[in-house]
Amino acid sequence: MDARTQEFVEYVQGGGQVETGDWMPDEYRAKLIKFIEMHGNSELMGVLPEREWILRAPTLQRKLALTAKVQDEVGHSQLIYRVVEDLGKPRSQCLQDLVDGRSKFHNVFHYPTKTWGDVGVIAWLVDAAAIISQKALLKCSYAPYARIMKKICWEESFHILHGRDVILTLMNGKDEQRALVQEAVDRWWGPLMTFHGTAIPADEDPMVFWRIKSQGNEEARQQFLDGYVPQIWELGLTVPDQELRKNDDGVWEYSEPDWDELKRVVTGHGPMTAERLEFRRRFLEQEAWVREVVLTEAA
Amino acid sequence: MSRRAEQLLEIADDELILGWRDSEWTGIAPTLEEDVAFSSIAQNEIGHARALYELASRDLGTTADALAFDRSPEEYRSAPLVELRRLDWARTIARHWLYETADELRLSELKSSDDAELAGLAAKMDREEVYHRMHAQMWADRLRGDERFEAALDELWPYALGVLAPEQRPAFADRVGREQVDAVERGEHSDELRELWNEMTMVRRSIPGATW
Repeated sequence: MDARTQEFVEYVQGGGQVETGDWMPDEYRAKLIKFIEMHGNSELMGVLPEREWILRAPTLQRKLALTAKVQDEVGHSQLIYRVVEDLGKPRSQCLQDLVDGRSKFHNVFHYPTKTWGDVGVIAWLVDAAAIISQKALLKCSYAPYARIMKKICWEESFHILHGRDVILTLMNGKDEQRALVQEAVDRWWGPLMTFHGTAIPADEDPMVFWRIKSQGNEEARQQFLDGYVPQIWELGLTVPDQELRKNDDGVWEYSEPDWDELKRVVTGHGPMTAERLEFRRRFLEQEAWVREVVLTEAA
Repeated sequence: MSRRAEQLLEIADDELILGWRDSEWTGIAPTLEEDVAFSSIAQNEIGHARALYELASRDLGTTADALAFDRSPEEYRSAPLVELRRLDWARTIARHWLYETADELRLSELKSSDDAELAGLAAKMDREEVYHRMHAQMWADRLRGDERFEAALDELWPYALGVLAPEQRPAFADRVGREQVDAVERGEHSDELRELWNEMTMVRRSIPGATW
C-alpha cells in the first residue's frame, strides 16, 4: 500500500469522511460503487414484491399508504443511483447490469409475496431489518451516501409504522386474518435471519476496513432480534425456530440459518429472481424509446 | 339515486379506476423520476375518489370503501377511457393528456355549481389537477409528432369524448384541436374493468366482513 493510500485508510478508519471530489484509492471507489449500487438495486427490485399488492389493497386508506410507501422505495433508488453516478457509473449502466444479472440485489426481494399478510410482514419486519443496516450507514466514510441515508431512514421508519398497523389490524381481526400473519412470519423468517449476512468478523470484512460499513453482520442481526422478537411474541405470534432464545448475557441464540440458500438466492437463483428480472427488463426495453426522446430534447 | 349522487359516482369512479391504472407503473416506468411522478398522480386521483365517495356515501347511506370496492363491476359508472389497460408510455401519456384536458372542463363547471359542497370539493381537487395538467402538457408537447403518440391519440379520442357530457364535447374538441367523432359512452364496461375489479377486490372479498 502506498503512503497516500495508507494515509487515506487511517483517515477513514479514524472517522474521517470523504466527498465526491476528494482523492480516493481506486479500490475504495470500486468497493463503494459495488456496495451502493447493490443498495440502489435492492430498493428498486424491492418495489416488485409489493407492486402487485398495490392493486389489491383492500381499502382506500391502505391503497394510498401502500402506494406512497412503495413510491418512497423508488425515490430511494433514484437518490442512491445518483450517488453511484457521481462515483463514475451511470444509472443506465446500473439498470442494464441489474437486468442482465451482472449485479446483485438483496436476498429478501427474490421471494414471492403470497398474501396480504406478506405485505404487512415486509413493511414491518423486512423494513425493520433494513433500517438497522441503513442506520449504521449514517456513519459511512463516504459523506454523500451518509447524508442521503438520513432521509431514507426517516422514511423507512414510517414504513415500519405502516407495516405494524397492517399487522395489528389483521391480528385484531378474524381467525383467518391472524392465520395470514402467522403464515407470512413463517415464510419470511428464513430470509430475515440471513438478511444481515454471515457472522463474518468485522475486522475481516473489507466494507468495514474502508468504513463503508461500521457494523458487523451479527451485531445487526442481534439488534433485529432484540428489537422485534419480543414484539412478535407480544402479538401472540410464534417464530418458526425452536432454538430461538435470549441468553442471560443478553445474546440471542438461534438455529443456524440456511447460508447455502442465501448464496443461491443472491447469486440469482431465488424463487422469483428470473421472473422479476425478466419483468423489469421487459419494461426497460419497451420504454427505451422514451428515454431517447428525453435525451434528444436535453441535447 | 339522485342526479347528484350519480354525478359524484361518475367522477369518483373515473378517478378511482384511473388512479388504479396509473399505479400500475410503479417500479417499471421509463425513468425513475416518472415512476415517482405517476405514483403521486395515482395517489391524488385516489384521494379525489375517496373525497367524492365520502360525499356520495352520505346521500346513499353507505361508506366510501363500500362504494369503491363492494359494488359489482356493472354498477361502476366509470368511462371506458379509464378502464383500458394500456401499459405503454405513448398510450399512457395520450390518455393522461386527454383525460386531464376533459377533467379541467368538467371541474370548471362543477366549481360554479349551486351545490356549495360540490363546488368546494371541485375547487380543492382542481388545485392538485393543475399540476397533473402541467405534467401531461409537458409530455404531450414532448411526444407531439411521434407516430406512437399520434396513433395513441387517434385510438383513444372516441373514448376520451365519452368522459364528458355531450354538451361539453365541442369545447373539448376545440381544446385538443380534433374533430368530434362518435363517443364511446359510459354504461358498457370492458373486460378490462372486470379483470381490474377482480384484482382490486381480491383481498377484500377473500374474508367477507373483515376489517383491513
